[in-house]
Amino acid sequence: MTVEYVDAGEAIDQGDLSGNHGTAPPVVEGVTYERILEARSEPQNWLTYYGAYNGQRFSPLDQINTENVKRIGPAWVFQAGSSGMIAGASTYAFEAAPLVVDGVMFVSGWDGWVWALNAATGNEIWRYKHATPYDVSLCCGNVNRGVAVAKGKVFSVTPNAHLIALDATTGKKLWDRTYGDVRAGESATCAPLIVKNLVIVGSSGGEFGVRGHLDAFDLDSGEHAWRCYMVPKPGEPGSDTWPSEGQAWARGGGNCWLTGTFDPETNLLYWGTGNPAPDFDGEVREGDNLYTDSIVAIDADAGEIRWHYQCTPHDVWDYDSISECILFEHEGRKLLGHFDKNGYFFVVDRTNGELVRITPFVDRIDWGNITRDGKVTPSRYPEKEGEPVHFFPGPAGAKEWTHAAYNPETELFYVPVQDVGATATRRRREFKESIPYWGAGVQVDIEDMTGYVSAYDANGEEKWRWRAKLPMCASVLTTGGGLVFAGEPNGMFNALDARTGEHLWQFQCGSGHHSSPVSYSVDGRQFVAVPVGWGGWAEGFLPGMLGAGHGSALMVFALPPE
Amino acid sequence: MTSAQERSDLMGKLGLNVQNRAAIGRLLNSGNVGEAKEHGDGRMTATIRINPDELTWDPQILVMPHGGDIELELINDDQNTHCALLPSNGDRKFIWLVNHSRGRATLNLDGPGCYWYSSPTGNDEGRGLTGAIVVLGDVPPEARLDRPDQPRP
Repeated sequence: MTVEYVDAGEAIDQGDLSGNHGTAPPVVEGVTYERILEARSEPQNWLTYYGAYNGQRFSPLDQINTENVKRIGPAWVFQAGSSGMIAGASTYAFEAAPLVVDGVMFVSGWDGWVWALNAATGNEIWRYKHATPYDVSLCCGNVNRGVAVAKGKVFSVTPNAHLIALDATTGKKLWDRTYGDVRAGESATCAPLIVKNLVIVGSSGGEFGVRGHLDAFDLDSGEHAWRCYMVPKPGEPGSDTWPSEGQAWARGGGNCWLTGTFDPETNLLYWGTGNPAPDFDGEVREGDNLYTDSIVAIDADAGEIRWHYQCTPHDVWDYDSISECILFEHEGRKLLGHFDKNGYFFVVDRTNGELVRITPFVDRIDWGNITRDGKVTPSRYPEKEGEPVHFFPGPAGAKEWTHAAYNPETELFYVPVQDVGATATRRRREFKESIPYWGAGVQVDIEDMTGYVSAYDANGEEKWRWRAKLPMCASVLTTGGGLVFAGEPNGMFNALDARTGEHLWQFQCGSGHHSSPVSYSVDGRQFVAVPVGWGGWAEGFLPGMLGAGHGSALMVFALPPE
Repeated sequence: MTSAQERSDLMGKLGLNVQNRAAIGRLLNSGNVGEAKEHGDGRMTATIRINPDELTWDPQILVMPHGGDIELELINDDQNTHCALLPSNGDRKFIWLVNHSRGRATLNLDGPGCYWYSSPTGNDEGRGLTGAIVVLGDVPPEARLDRPDQPRP
């Protein structure tokens, strides 16, 4: 006898079973380029990755201040943990900077997640999940650093190198463009940047011997506007810094795996570029290897490089210069501040790339020396095959990708510092697409390490230092309340006095910090939000904490309700 | 030591190809391989079954010729209740599969690579009901790097 099957129906969205889904108010509809230009005139919002185009990570909000910060506590928590299989299961981390628009928060997670949340209560409004291949090449963990918003859309990159545009009210996909080749080892992790009618994104994959690039798309249609490669082809400007024979340039790295800054007066994008490939075997790529490890100024309309400043010519330590380029004015000059992985704080004239000042910002630097006029002299590096070489700082740098901040009221920069060394042993290997292309065996120290938050003025003078037990691996935030917020790998979230460095408050968040906190307000109540979730490339920046538990919580703090 | 050619024989000898002989559950991805069918209109379809007492998907590795939309027929011939949580752009797709049931799922997978899915319900996890959908093909030409063809493994 044949028994009829029970009709199980059609599979449904998993989010329909979350108990929490709906439609967001159309707050993003009115977010335009003009509003993002004046983002800090809307202190209740955090409209773009760094809070403003200048990259300062400064919130003017002052309801929470040095006097009352000791009274803040958790207002709500969003737990983003998920069921089922994810790509690179052991390496996920919560690394985003949330955006907030008029009471709605937009935040991305690992593995292709994007959420819209009620910024006052933490309730989930909608979710989007991009299907991520388990085997996509993720050099530094299954992570994403944030979204962009404009004209009714939320933009995000995916681990498999797509740029997607979502309807900000529903989370439904409006368009989808592939801008990287996963079979070549490319991926994507950065938060997009909106400039004019463009959405600008960089590629990841510098450990796989790709050719780094920055791409711009029309934010309405998704039409590709331009691509700017960070390694020149033979015959192009800068190509004389690569071997004239062979294809080292084609595998040269220089990825733009973080978000840049923008000055509307110069019409220049300021982007940091990644390491050359192979990371540690410089003999196969003789020369300075432009435009790797550089601050690159790119015309926002043409997508062409106008000037560059290379922080580590011919890098053999994995010292990406991807860190933020913070725009500020000092003594009538338009300047740019950049804390590099190589341990030096660079101040550059952002109109022309002229070096203004170089200052070391970590105690232990022995890979080489950079003089005040910018001359670089390497001293310790993996030169001979099979011979281990120890150097400071290690390949995660004296500051990893996590961001410094600048407070225009104190006129101080605040930098999270990692003082950790590493040993690299050169091991040459043949290049093959999609296979890691380091050219060395590398082990980062698990002992004799420390960290701190330091405050520097524009002249490179250290004004104060707050010492932590472990390297500081999270972005800092500074506010109009005279505060600096800084998370630690052990889960502590701290508030410091921005003028003195005095420790004022802390809270144990239950997992290490490796993200970018932001501040915003809803109905007059100020909040400080920090994604918490240890993981990612921990073996690179802090292997001594490789065994610490993962987390996936977005913690939001505020003063008690009146 | 064994060679690839001897793998199937050795799996059987060691009991790695069934439930609760070598391992407790079914070894991941030790089941069948199948190909999705591509129709003239570009649609892709496939049928995936759960056979009695195997606690594995059949096929356990489903291969799509390229990225795009695929319509799956999911059949539970087992005498226990299972479910499926499947990858798809937008949100993962969930379906409850009681004993002797048949359901459908439409997935969108946009690029090359290996995607996992599973039956995330009590009694199933770790027992073998973890499957793979492998998407063949390359990214669009405009997304590829401007460089000469490079060697691959």
